[in-house]
Amino acid sequence: MDNSSEANSSEARRLVDAVISDFPDHKPGTRPVHTLGVGVEGYFVASEVARTYCIAEHFRGQRVPASVRFSNGSGSPVRHDGWSDVRGMATRFRLADGAATDLIAMTLGEFFARTVEEFFEFTKAAQPKPIQKESPWRKILDMLQLKLPLDDPNPGETASAAAGMLDYANRHRFAQLGVFQAAKIGAPVSYARATYHAVHTFVVIAPDGVRRHVRFSWQPVAGVRTTEPDAAKRDDYLHQELKDRLRPRFPARFMLMMTIGEAGDAFDDPTRPWPAKRVRVVMGTLTLTKVAEDQAAAGEHISFNPCRLAHGIEASGDPILHARRDAYEASRELRGGASCPFNRS
Amino acid sequence: MPSGVGWFEGFVDGLPNNRVFKFVASRILVPYWAWRTPVKPLEGGPPPSMQPGDNVQCMMNLIMPLKDKSPIGRALAALAVAQNKDEIFAGLDNVGTVHFARFVIVDNNICMFSVYDGDFTNYIRDFVATIGSVFNNVVALVEKGETVMPCEQNVEAFIEWVHERDMYQVPDLATDLFKDQEAMNGSKAASGNDDLRQLPPRLILQLNANPNVSLGSGYRAYPGYSAAQVRHKLGLGW
Repeated sequence: MDNSSEANSSEARRLVDAVISDFPDHKPGTRPVHTLGVGVEGYFVASEVARTYCIAEHFRGQRVPASVRFSNGSGSPVRHDGWSDVRGMATRFRLADGAATDLIAMTLGEFFARTVEEFFEFTKAAQPKPIQKESPWRKILDMLQLKLPLDDPNPGETASAAAGMLDYANRHRFAQLGVFQAAKIGAPVSYARATYHAVHTFVVIAPDGVRRHVRFSWQPVAGVRTTEPDAAKRDDYLHQELKDRLRPRFPARFMLMMTIGEAGDAFDDPTRPWPAKRVRVVMGTLTLTKVAEDQAAAGEHISFNPCRLAHGIEASGDPILHARRDAYEASRELRGGASCPFNRS
Repeated sequence: MPSGVGWFEGFVDGLPNNRVFKFVASRILVPYWAWRTPVKPLEGGPPPSMQPGDNVQCMMNLIMPLKDKSPIGRALAALAVAQNKDEIFAGLDNVGTVHFARFVIVDNNICMFSVYDGDFTNYIRDFVATIGSVFNNVVALVEKGETVMPCEQNVEAFIEWVHERDMYQVPDLATDLFKDQEAMNGSKAASGNDDLRQLPPRLILQLNANPNVSLGSGYRAYPGYSAAQVRHKLGLGW
C-alpha cells in the first residue's frame, strides 16, 4: 500500500467512525448509516434515447437484472419506519459481462457538506443530544414571532441530532438547504412512493465522445406520497408494504431521470441542486418484481459503492463522492460485507 | 404527564389552526412585525443569470389592477384582448421567442402570464414594436397605465412599468430567500449567520409586502429548450 492509498484508507476509516459516533446505539457489524434495509429484485430497461447519451452497457436497451436495497437513513438498529427520516435506494445493475455498476440515491436532494473537512465538522455537530422538548410557553413565544414551533420528539425519542444540525446550518450557508429539507422530509407511505436523488455529479460519455456532466434521480411511477405528519407513527410497515405491493403481480416502477448540467453549475458541490430548468432525459425504467427471499444476502451482506461505475460513466471531481468510494469500502470491510462478485475490475 | 399540562399542550399545538389565533396573527402579529422589521418587496421577474439554460423558458407574470372594478370593467378588458387576436398571433410568430402567453382576469386584475426566451427587456421591446397597439388597448384600462401610453413612444418607461408589475419569483430552493433579501439590501455576505428558523417569518413578511408572487420558476415538461429549437425539431418552420 503506497502513502496516498494509506492516507485514503485512514481517512475513510475516520469517516466511518465519525458517522458511527452519531448513533450511540449503533450495532457493530452493521452499516454505519442506512442500517436497516430490504433487498428487492427487478430489472432495468433503458429508454430509446439513453444510448445516444451514454455508452454504458445498461443504457443499450436490453433487459438488465437489478438488485435494489431500500433503507431508512438512521444508523440505529432500532426500526422507526414512521419517523421523519431520509430513505435510501441503492441499485446494482448486473451487467451481462459479469461486471456491475451501482447507483446510490436518497430522498434528500442535496448533501450537508462540500468537502471531507466540512463533513467531519458536520458529523461532530450532528452528535445526538438529549432532546429539550419545547414547552408550550416557548411554542407560544415562537408563534408570536411568526416562527414555527419545534416539532415534538417522536414517542420514545430521547436524543436527537436536530438541534446540532440546525446550529451548524445557521453558521454554514451551504448546509442550510439540506438541513431545512431533512427536517421536513417526513416518512414515505412506501419505499416505492418516493423520489431518490443520486446527489453527486457524474460524467457520461456518448457514442460520439461527448462528455456530459449529469445527475441522476429515480422517480416513482406510482407517485410520491408521505404519511400524514400528525398521524400516529408506525415503527414497522415499509418492508411488509413492499411485499404486499409486489406480491399480487403489480411491480413497482421507477423512471431513471438524468439531468444535464451546464457550464457554471455546481458540478463538484453536492450541497447545491441544479436549477430546475436544466434538460432532463428519461434514461430508462426500473421494474421491481419481488422482495428478495434471502434478505441476509440481498439486504445486509450486499455492498454498494457510488464509484462502482460501468465503462461510459465516470465520477466527477466532487470530493465527497471520492471520499465515499473509500468510506464505503472501509465500512464493508468493517462489517464483513460481501465484496462485489460481479465486479471484475 | 399531568392531565392539565396535556390539555394545555394540546391547546397550544392546535393554535395554528385556531380561528381566533389566526385572526390575531394576521391582523395584529403580521402588521406588528412588518412595522418592527420593515421588508421591501423583492423585485419581480427571473433572477439574472449568464447561463444559457436559465435564459430559456423564463416566466413573466403580470398582475395589472383594472381601473373599472366592475363586471363592465372586466368585460372591457376581455374585449380588448379578444379584439386583438390577429395582432397577438402576428406578434408571437414574428417575435419568435415566446412559448405561450395567456391573459387571465382574476378578481379585478387583468393578468398576463407568458413564457419567453432571452432577455426580459428585449422581449418587451420586441413586442412593443410589433403589437404596441394591443398593449395600449389593455394598458388604457389599467391603473396608472396612462403614464406610459402610447407605449411605442415610451418604450423604456413601459419596460420599467411592466417590470414593476411582474411578480417576484420565490426561489426554487427555499433557503435562497435569505440570499434574495441580502442582495436587495446590498449585502454581499458569502456565508450567512442566519437563523434557519427565521425563514417562515421572512416569507410571511415578504408575502405581506408582496402579496402576489410566483412560487418558484415553474415546472417544465421539456426544460432547457427555446421556442425556436422546439419549432425546428418539430419541423414547424419559422
